[in-house]
Amino acid sequence: MKVAYFSPMPPERSGIADYSELLLPALRRRVDIAVVRRGRKRSPRGSGVCLYHVGNNPEAHGWIVEALRRRPGVVVLHDFVLHHLVAGLTIGRGDGHGYLDAMEREGGVVGRLIGHGVLDKRIPPLWESRPEEYHLAGEVLSLATGLIVHSRYVEARARAAGFEGPVWRVPHPAWPVPELTRVEVEGAPLFGAFGNLNASKRLPQLLEAFARVRRAHPGARLLLVGATSPGFDLDRRLQRLGLDGEGLVREGYVEEDRLWSLIAACDAVVSLRAPTMGETSGVAVRALSLGKPLVVSDVGWFSELPGSVALKVPPDGAEADTLAAALSLLALDEDARRAMGEAALAHARREHDVERVAELYASALEQAAGGEAVREAVLAEVAEAAAAAGIDASSEEAGELAHRLAEVRIAE
Amino acid sequence: MRIAVCAPQVPFVRGGAEIFADTLVAELRGRGHETELVTVPFKWYPGTRVLTQAFLWRLLDLEESDGRPIDLVVATKFPSYAVRHPNKRVWLLHQFRQAYELDRTELGQFGESAADRALRRKVQELDRVALGEARRLFATSRNVADRLERATGLQPELMPHPPQELHYRCDGYGDFVLSVNRLDRAKRIDLLLEAAALAPSLNVVIVGDGPDRERLEALAHERGLDGRARFAGVVDEDELARLYATCLAVFYAPVDEDFGMVPYEAFLSEKPVVTTTDAGGPLEIVSDRSTGLVCAPEPAELARAVEFLRGHPDDVRAYGRAGKAIAEQVTWDRCIERLLA
Repeated sequence: MKVAYFSPMPPERSGIADYSELLLPALRRRVDIAVVRRGRKRSPRGSGVCLYHVGNNPEAHGWIVEALRRRPGVVVLHDFVLHHLVAGLTIGRGDGHGYLDAMEREGGVVGRLIGHGVLDKRIPPLWESRPEEYHLAGEVLSLATGLIVHSRYVEARARAAGFEGPVWRVPHPAWPVPELTRVEVEGAPLFGAFGNLNASKRLPQLLEAFARVRRAHPGARLLLVGATSPGFDLDRRLQRLGLDGEGLVREGYVEEDRLWSLIAACDAVVSLRAPTMGETSGVAVRALSLGKPLVVSDVGWFSELPGSVALKVPPDGAEADTLAAALSLLALDEDARRAMGEAALAHARREHDVERVAELYASALEQAAGGEAVREAVLAEVAEAAAAAGIDASSEEAGELAHRLAEVRIAE
Repeated sequence: MRIAVCAPQVPFVRGGAEIFADTLVAELRGRGHETELVTVPFKWYPGTRVLTQAFLWRLLDLEESDGRPIDLVVATKFPSYAVRHPNKRVWLLHQFRQAYELDRTELGQFGESAADRALRRKVQELDRVALGEARRLFATSRNVADRLERATGLQPELMPHPPQELHYRCDGYGDFVLSVNRLDRAKRIDLLLEAAALAPSLNVVIVGDGPDRERLEALAHERGLDGRARFAGVVDEDELARLYATCLAVFYAPVDEDFGMVPYEAFLSEKPVVTTTDAGGPLEIVSDRSTGLVCAPEPAELARAVEFLRGHPDDVRAYGRAGKAIAEQVTWDRCIERLLA
């Protein structure tokens, strides 16, 4: 079976390009893969299955959605909320009507009217202000013959959006830990937060919580690594919380090697976000591979991490209090940090092992190629046996048969 | 407790798995548990029959019987663990190996068509769901546990089971090597026959029956082993115990075996086991020059190993006794306590 593989690839700077670079060698040992050149919208001759990696960045994924429109196939849904992607593919290309149609498809007439408000600049762009309210994944879901997702959360949202095809849950693969350069960053303990600094990464709550922790643990430090998002006034917030001095260590965008070394220097990694777009966190996966305890938001994929590796903070009215309690616990209890770190390492090896991930991909792709034939054969045999036993197709008993078949994923 | 032990049945075929299920039922009953063996015939070919037959287990309602609840089910091997029960425990002998490590080998079942590839994956999906439901999950050997973890991500607890009840004893060390197995290709009895052809002093007794018997008998004849290789067929328990008690050593070298009770039976009879480096589960208890000999899966190597045993009676005795000490650690009392905990 030959698989046409549509994905951003290095040297393109995209998390999904890095993901594919990591996955492909292991996947190629199991499946015949033809990586499709960027911009090409036709699948190579002889491809049995097309695999489309879809994320929220229109620059990286626009051409992939166009290829998907030509030939439906298996979609790897890296984010569930695709509002930014759809806005880029429509408004970004001067196709306002396309955006309105997408909004109407999901939100009916109200959605269309809100879309008009966006086009007329009467309301701020939804993909910036509240993308979670309109995911705009409808078109991609309608074209997908099967979905690969990283979390139960995305699976549930796809089902809630009406997707009825097969869904395969495949964890995000873990990168092999590179050779680390020792980095000396002061802090006892040292907490690290990585990625763009903005409100959806819950930075206001994190800073407030950390300021409280610092009062009881003056040796603690917070390492913030990443660019500050436009409109987020970090300095003023730090000043107000009295954190502009020695409590905080700042680094801007860093290259991969330094990112690993900085994560390795931390005693625990904080990875927060709300709302979630259904994404996983590459930093959190790296932290697990390095055996670091995590503090995460209790949302989406993050909620599904085992309690043994992550303290989970609901993004509610008490968020800063809960966060301060979590950080204090980790600051106080070195044994807890060590136990969580060991569990993190074991979890990364077991759950995110790239060979295991590739095997699950191969399984999904083989089922996508031949699963329908199997399903039909099984259903025919079961239906024949049921009919011979006098079970009517519309009866309760037939309903139970269908339920049991779906339960063990023989025929969904 | 009311316990249902679930095991598939291949009509007219009886081997280690069947003995295990029967013994488990007897041991549970012996401890005062009301226990029943629940079995459904299983046929895994052609085509999708492997799934539709497995599906039969899913339709069973074992939550109660005759108006009284069944407290617990213990499933043993594919596809019996597809059964539904809120207190399902699985003591895994093996999965459907053709869908895993035997795939694309001469012992495999699935071809290269898209439908066959997908069918194999569907079997794996069923395993993930059905085994994932188990309240407790045990594997009979590290080999079985590792395979399960690789395939499903599930981490079973390791719990070997004792062998069948026999009058185990050692009546000395005779001049023959014993093989106790179902006669099919995976058990690799032909390796023993080829070794016997190279070692004129090697006599073998082959206990068991199966689809490979005719080929093996022809091979023995072809290699001129008439008189040195005896096919004993299926023997009763007394005769089996007598053969264990009087043999020099026991040969046991299936390809990547799950576990196998034979080494334990040999050890309880104070006999060393000769196995091969690719035998899988047996290597967890058969250590080279400690409880037996482990050689490359080549007739010449095997012949050399057996010749060594014939020339070193003290070592033979020492290996057998060391094995016995290991086998005596595995008791039904301990297993059942864990199983029901």
